[in-house]
Order: sequence, then C-alpha cells, then structure tokens
Amino acid sequence: MIKGRYADENLKWIPLIIMAVFALPFLIKSATFSYKYYLYVINMAGIYIILTVGLDLLSGFTGLISLGHAGFLAIGAYTSAILVDQVGLPFELSLIITPVIVGFFGLIIGFPALRIEGMYLALTTMGFGFIVKRMIIALRDWTGGSGGLQVSNATLLGMDVKSDWDNYFFIFTFTILAVAAGRRIIHSKLGRAFMAIRDSEHAAEASGVNIAKYKLIAFFISGIFAGLAGVLFAHTNNFISTDHFDILLSIYFYVMVLVGGMGSIYGAALGTLFIVLMENLFIPLFEDSLSQFIATEAGDLQALIFGLIMLLFIIFQPLGLYGMWLKMRIYWKVFPFNPRKRFT
Amino acid sequence: MNELITGLLQESISGIALGSIYALIALGFTLIYKASEVVNFAQGEVMMVGAYVNFFFVSYFSAMVGEINGWVFLLAFLGSIIFAVIFGIILDFIINRPLKDEPVFSIVMATISLAIILRALTALIAGPISLVPQSPFGGRIMEVGGVVVSYLDLSIILSAVVLMGIFFIFFNKTRWGIAMKATSEDSEAAQLMGIPVKKVYMIVWVFAAIVGVVSGILLAPRMSLLDTSMGFLGLKAFPAAILGGFGSIPGAVVGGIILGVIETVSMGTLSFHFSWIKEINDIIVWIVLIVVLMVRPDGLFGKAKVKRV
Repeated sequence: MIKGRYADENLKWIPLIIMAVFALPFLIKSATFSYKYYLYVINMAGIYIILTVGLDLLSGFTGLISLGHAGFLAIGAYTSAILVDQVGLPFELSLIITPVIVGFFGLIIGFPALRIEGMYLALTTMGFGFIVKRMIIALRDWTGGSGGLQVSNATLLGMDVKSDWDNYFFIFTFTILAVAAGRRIIHSKLGRAFMAIRDSEHAAEASGVNIAKYKLIAFFISGIFAGLAGVLFAHTNNFISTDHFDILLSIYFYVMVLVGGMGSIYGAALGTLFIVLMENLFIPLFEDSLSQFIATEAGDLQALIFGLIMLLFIIFQPLGLYGMWLKMRIYWKVFPFNPRKRFT
Repeated sequence: MNELITGLLQESISGIALGSIYALIALGFTLIYKASEVVNFAQGEVMMVGAYVNFFFVSYFSAMVGEINGWVFLLAFLGSIIFAVIFGIILDFIINRPLKDEPVFSIVMATISLAIILRALTALIAGPISLVPQSPFGGRIMEVGGVVVSYLDLSIILSAVVLMGIFFIFFNKTRWGIAMKATSEDSEAAQLMGIPVKKVYMIVWVFAAIVGVVSGILLAPRMSLLDTSMGFLGLKAFPAAILGGFGSIPGAVVGGIILGVIETVSMGTLSFHFSWIKEINDIIVWIVLIVVLMVRPDGLFGKAKVKRV
C-alpha cells in the first residue's frame, strides 16, 4: 500500500485538540469570575505563538539567528494600524496585505544574511530592531511617535470583534492555521531544503539546494508570520507604542522557542504558552506572597525567575519541553524493557 | 567656522573617551571570543556589577576612614579586582563548564539569561534607587588650546590603550597567550598537545571579568548616576567589537573609538546644524555597523574564516 502524506503522523488527536482550544473559554468562564483577564493573557499567547512558529521556521529549521523579531512585529502592527485607520482600507484587506509587506521587510534583512552568519547575523538583526523602533518615533506624523497610537477594533465581514471573548476565537483561528501551516511547510520540499541548510550548508549546496533562494524564502515566510501576529496584536490591543516592541521582547521570543524546543513547531507553540502563562499568571502570584518579606520593584523578581528558568533549561534540558515529551513517549513505548541509557 | 571646528574637536575628545569605554567592553567580548568562540552577552552586566561593587567598597572604606581620599579609591579598586577574579571563576563554573559540548549558540543564550539574572539580582540587592558615584579625580580638567579634557576621560583613554597593549603582548608573546590561541583554533587538538584547556577557559573568563569591572569603575563617575540600566551599554559595545572584527584586540579598540567619535559628534555639533541627524543619532552606530558588514562581512580587522567541510 502506498503511504499517504500523513501516514507517519498521528492525526487522530488533532480534531480533539482543536475542539479543546475552542471549548477552553467556556471552561474558564464557568470556573472563575475574572475570566476576562485570563482570556486576555491567553490571547497574548495566541498572538505570540503565530510569531514564534515563524521564528522557529527561521531559526530552528533553517539555522538563521534573528534577534529582530520584535521589529517585524512592530512593522506589522504599525502598518496595519496606518492602513486601516488612516488610509481607510478594510480590515480584511489589511489582514492579507500587511503580512506580505512585512515579508518583504524580511527579505531586506535576508539579503545581508546571505553574506554574514552566526553572531554577526544575530547582531545585525538586533540592530534592525533598534532601527525600526527609532524609525517609528521619527515618522511621528503617521505613527504618533513615542506617545503611541490608538487602533480601531478588528471588523470581520461587518462583525465587530471587540471584547476579549470575541478576540479569543478570532485569534485562535489564526493560531491554529499558523501552526498547521508551519507543520505543512516543514513536511514539504521547502522544509526539507531548510533543514538541509541548517545541518550543513556545503552538503546542501552540493545536493543542489539553492542556498540563497531558500534563505530568502525563510526570511520571507518568517516575516509573513510575524506580520500576521502584528496585525492581530494591533487590532486586539487597541493601543500600540514603541515600548511594546523592545529588544527584550525579541530575546523573549527566542526564549520561548528555546524552552519549547528548537526545531519543532509544536515545541514553539508549547514554549510560548508556557512562558506567557508563567510570566503573567504564576510569577505575579508568587511575587505577591514574597513581597511581604522583601521590598522589590515590580519587574525585578519576574526577570530573575525568567532568567533562571532559561538558564536551567539550557543547561539541563537543551531540547526543551517538546524534547521532554518525546523522551517520555519513548520511555512509555518500550516501558518494561527500557534501557537505562535512553532516559539520561 | 572656527567655532565649529573647536566644537568638533571637543566632541571628538569626549567621543574618544566614550569610545574607549566601548573599547574596554568590546575587549571583554573579544577575549572570551578569542579563546572559545562564545559571545558573552553579559559583559555589560559584568561591568555594571563591577561599578556597584566598587561603589560599595568606596562607601564602606570611606565610612571606616571617615573621609574620602586617594587611598580609599585605591583600596576599593584592589577590592573590586579581587572580586572580579572570584566572579570570573564563578561565571566559568556556571556558564562555560556545563555547556562545553553544547553548540555555541546555546552558550550565547545562557549568557543572555545570565545578563537578565545579573540585572535583576543587582536591582534586588541594591534597591531601586540610583546611586551617585564619586570620582577619584573630582571635577579636575585640563585645557589644551581651547579644548577641555577632564582627568577622568584621560584616565579612561589611557587605561583602554594600556589594557589593549597588555593583552596584545600577552596573546602574541607569552606561553599562556599562545595556548589560548591554540585552544580557540581547535580545543581537542590543544588538549592533546598538553594544554590545560579548562584552565585556559577559566583564565579567559577571569580576564574578561577584570576588564569588565575596570570599565565599570571608570564609567560609573562619567555617567553621574548609577543604576542597572548601565548594563545596556554592553549592547552598544557590540557594534564596536564587530566593526573591528570579532576576535581582534586592536580591532576592538579601534572599532570602539570610531563608534564613540561618530556617536558623540553626531549627537553634538552635527545635530545642531542638520536637524535630520537628531532623529537618528542613537541608532547611527547600528546603521554604520550594517553598512560595514555589507561591505566587509568580517569587520575591518577580522580575517575571513575558511570553513572545513
């Protein structure tokens, strides 16, 4: 029998997971009164997942480092805000145009990436992030400068998406689409070319992979994902300013991918969810109980825990959460007969 | 016209002083990169911690003596150097050793997380208030032909040049320096030749910590206010290290000084005369960096690497 495209993948869980995603807000609503805040946090995670899937395609699969993804997110958010509110395009059109525009910005960064690599690339993209931030302030006629910009709600086919409740379904539709698209890309010819470049550029070139072309495509695709995230960010947050797109955010995106597991789409999604929930729900709880004993400024303890988690993950679990899950699965598959070595 | 030239000269001098700070931080990057190909993102934070520790020592000793004099600063300086040695060893143990066989990039991410941790810890321990550091030179200045130079700036420039000279000689002439070069080339082969690779790494981290702490001590009085955001200056030193070509000691210093001069001059006189420069003067170093990398991907002094397949 000829194997289908999905033969080696276990697909029966996918509809269940999608159903769970859409049932989650009802669950939260019935469980707690302050469900709006939880939804807000989860919405944030949904937006970031779209971006980190794109970042994972670029870094985890193609091996190109980018510390400028907050810049891409900012370009997406501001472009969409300007297109919808000032030019007057309908939101649906902006939803399509803006990611493509950000994709072209990705190409602009992709060109130097053909010549430089490693740390030089990391710092060039970091510089790109700084330049974007400064440019947004410089073009204050359109962007409102450092004061920030009010953005209208998303309107989809005449429907106004205005509350956190509506936003949830709106955002997570795109999140699921993004994760699915990421999965499809890595199982296609494109994804195999990316991985070949990551593993060895010379071997890939010798096998006939056009390195320049595929690196540019990787940046383009990553830009599209970041642009989509930017559109959603602007129109669900209703307010954007340059403070949202700090260099630290770029690093946090990297942490999310790293904690989830570089080089796996589900890992990126999982890591993002983990970090965002951690940052917004668990650490504040912990901080409240600890602030009775030591006087702290709001962000410090959070940053400390954040840094510690990251360091511990890098040292003890370099494959991330997804790697942990894989190890666990192997462990249970061969359960009574597991060799000791496999689990170290 | 004459006024413009004097202004430019004045700004060039303070630009060289600022650039020397960048150069010192870049020197810290370069040392670690030369031995282990790791880029230490926490160098700026090491500098900040050094400034805080020195401040602590100065206030501790001056409280003991009852007044602030030269001896207090000297003692505090020595205390900070001893702290730097211990700090470097600790960093080697928690960052470098556990990650020795991992890909270089995960060590880089570890240094980023170290930077976050150090900044948060310093803020937690020292409290959220900015400190006012004392300068051993007070406000003393020197005037040469209409251009004013403070003693502090002079000491910064001098120590950058001296440290560069020391490390340049160290890496090219001494046994340990050559051992470090060999380690960076191929650590396994170096180990087979009898070079104690672990010790080499430790010494490099100690050196980098010393350079970081010294730059922190020198920079703190120049900033007039000391808080944890000082660590972000480390990010600005990256273009300096890259401009000179990562791994080249004279390159780090020259790159730092070039960027310092560009930044100060564009912030000062030029931005009064051309208003569009005012908009971009805090990203001008990054624009310079990207342009240079487009033309010379290995920096001004770097050598192109031939990759083995």
